[in-house]
Amino acid sequence: MAAIPSTIEASEEQLLAAEVGEHVTLGQDAWRRLRRNHVAVIGLGIICLFIVVALVSIVWTPYPTWQQALGPTYQGPTLTHPLGLDDYGRDILSRVMGGAGIALAVGVGASLIASCIGIVLGLLAGFYRGKVDMVISTVINISYGIPDLLIALIMVLLIGRGIQNIILAISVTAWLGMARLVRGQTFSIREREFVEAARTIGTPNSMILLRHILPNALGPIVVQATYLVPAAIIFEAFLSLLGLGVPPPSPSWGRMASEGYKALQIAPHIVLAPCIALSMTVLAFNWLGDGLRDAIDPRMRR
Amino acid sequence: MTRGTLIYAAQRLVLITVTAVVVSSIVFVGVHQLPGTALIHERDTNPATTAALMHYYHLDLPWPQQYWLWLTGVVLHGDLGESLVNRGLQITPLLIRETQVSATLGIAAVLITVIVGMSLGTLAAIRQNTWVDYTASTAAVVGYSVPSFVWAFLLILLTVGGFYRWTGGLIYEDIGWGKLEQIPVPALALGLPYAAIVARLTRASMLEVIRQDYVRTAWAKGLRSRVVILRHALRNALIPVISILGPLVTGIITGSVVIEFLFGIPGLGKEFVTSILSRDYNVVIGVFTFYAALVGFANLVVDLLYPVLDPRIRY
Repeated sequence: MAAIPSTIEASEEQLLAAEVGEHVTLGQDAWRRLRRNHVAVIGLGIICLFIVVALVSIVWTPYPTWQQALGPTYQGPTLTHPLGLDDYGRDILSRVMGGAGIALAVGVGASLIASCIGIVLGLLAGFYRGKVDMVISTVINISYGIPDLLIALIMVLLIGRGIQNIILAISVTAWLGMARLVRGQTFSIREREFVEAARTIGTPNSMILLRHILPNALGPIVVQATYLVPAAIIFEAFLSLLGLGVPPPSPSWGRMASEGYKALQIAPHIVLAPCIALSMTVLAFNWLGDGLRDAIDPRMRR
Repeated sequence: MTRGTLIYAAQRLVLITVTAVVVSSIVFVGVHQLPGTALIHERDTNPATTAALMHYYHLDLPWPQQYWLWLTGVVLHGDLGESLVNRGLQITPLLIRETQVSATLGIAAVLITVIVGMSLGTLAAIRQNTWVDYTASTAAVVGYSVPSFVWAFLLILLTVGGFYRWTGGLIYEDIGWGKLEQIPVPALALGLPYAAIVARLTRASMLEVIRQDYVRTAWAKGLRSRVVILRHALRNALIPVISILGPLVTGIITGSVVIEFLFGIPGLGKEFVTSILSRDYNVVIGVFTFYAALVGFANLVVDLLYPVLDPRIRY
């Protein structure tokens, strides 16, 4: 454990480094530590692989994802169709590839939107406290009382099932955790000396929030946003399983699993292929999130 | 149960009631914005019949008035109204029956989560940096990265098809609900991802606790390792773990919607999906209200567990 510098030492090192001219930003420092974490690097690698697959699938898949009757339905893996065919005789490999794009779009999209909402409301609640905090906290606490899947289901029925709408429906509840986190961070950061100093020289509130509080809360925010991605991917799969996800014939992994479910015993490959892809993506993001958490906050290191 | 605890519990019960009312009113408004009407599946499209039905279910009134009628019915008679799709079906007894099903599944899942998670986490902590620890820690990350429905598929493949094939039909499992032996498989699917989270937390907090002086003292006194680990260390290591039981219960309830759907278990979650797809407004609102109360109660139970484990906490 001796090799790991404590936060104080690290910041002193940074100060020294800054003095002698080598400028190490917080991000570079975290990136350095992240690279040493093998599991996180593997996670990042898997994510990059899926991003490449998603991009490739836009222009090329072995077969069109929607094309039916390519061979006998429920056919197992063969040379021409490495992952087999589904109940309509569609090529599962092509569909899993196409599903990567949908999963990543939903995961990253929902994470971004939810983070933005959560950061803004969390900052406001934590900074202004009083009535603003009361209103925002009440909304959060009441929303926590309802399983988010139910809210998302109603949202989807209200606004429709397009991919943008699914992202929106997931974001509607996903921001709660982020807002709570940012609110807590803001609560403690706003009492620190540098905020006080900024206030004494007349920095406007908006500047204090953006320049002083937000950058200091960024570490936990990035970690939380990373964890939000796999959560949103699972959520989309939940919606698809219940028949309310991205509409067919889009090859969403959750939808593929739900379509294959009826033939689980005779053709398990239909269900297993998208499930493995989904679990691997989620695992990769969780690995990356764990790595980021350790890299950004060395105290959390096990 | 001190007086303070009772007052605290009473306050929370009031809060749960308020939440349930607020949730029901929001859902009431939301549900009535949904495209399509409750009579969408009606075969008899005779305008007179439709009008009569609309009148019977108060659907012809403006929605504030509808809500008021609904709310007074709930408060005065505990009556959540009638199903709009299955005519004459009273919702309150239906949901009470389904809540029992969901609660059975949920409690089984929580038990599995806590038992599996705690044992794995404790084992990993006391064998830190050995292969036991690495295996358990890796299993934990994989465990919560695999969503509950994937566990469901795997377990179904294993128990339904696998057992039957391997034992020549001697052992088989049919999915569904009603028999005792049908509980473990869906409960496992529901609980495993969360067991992994509990395992990670238990390991982390156990590692902190077993380095403390009083644990060393316990070892020095020559107590048996079982007593040191279970009585001295684990009890204190559990305090941070309890704090995630709240979100965990909410998560298990959410997960149960999908699991009930996949396993065909007649619980609240399955009812919710069927009712919202058939625009059975009254049932949808009823399920939401039940869920809000259920989450509230579950969290209250968790909070009341705190002082039991940690006497420093009082209400």
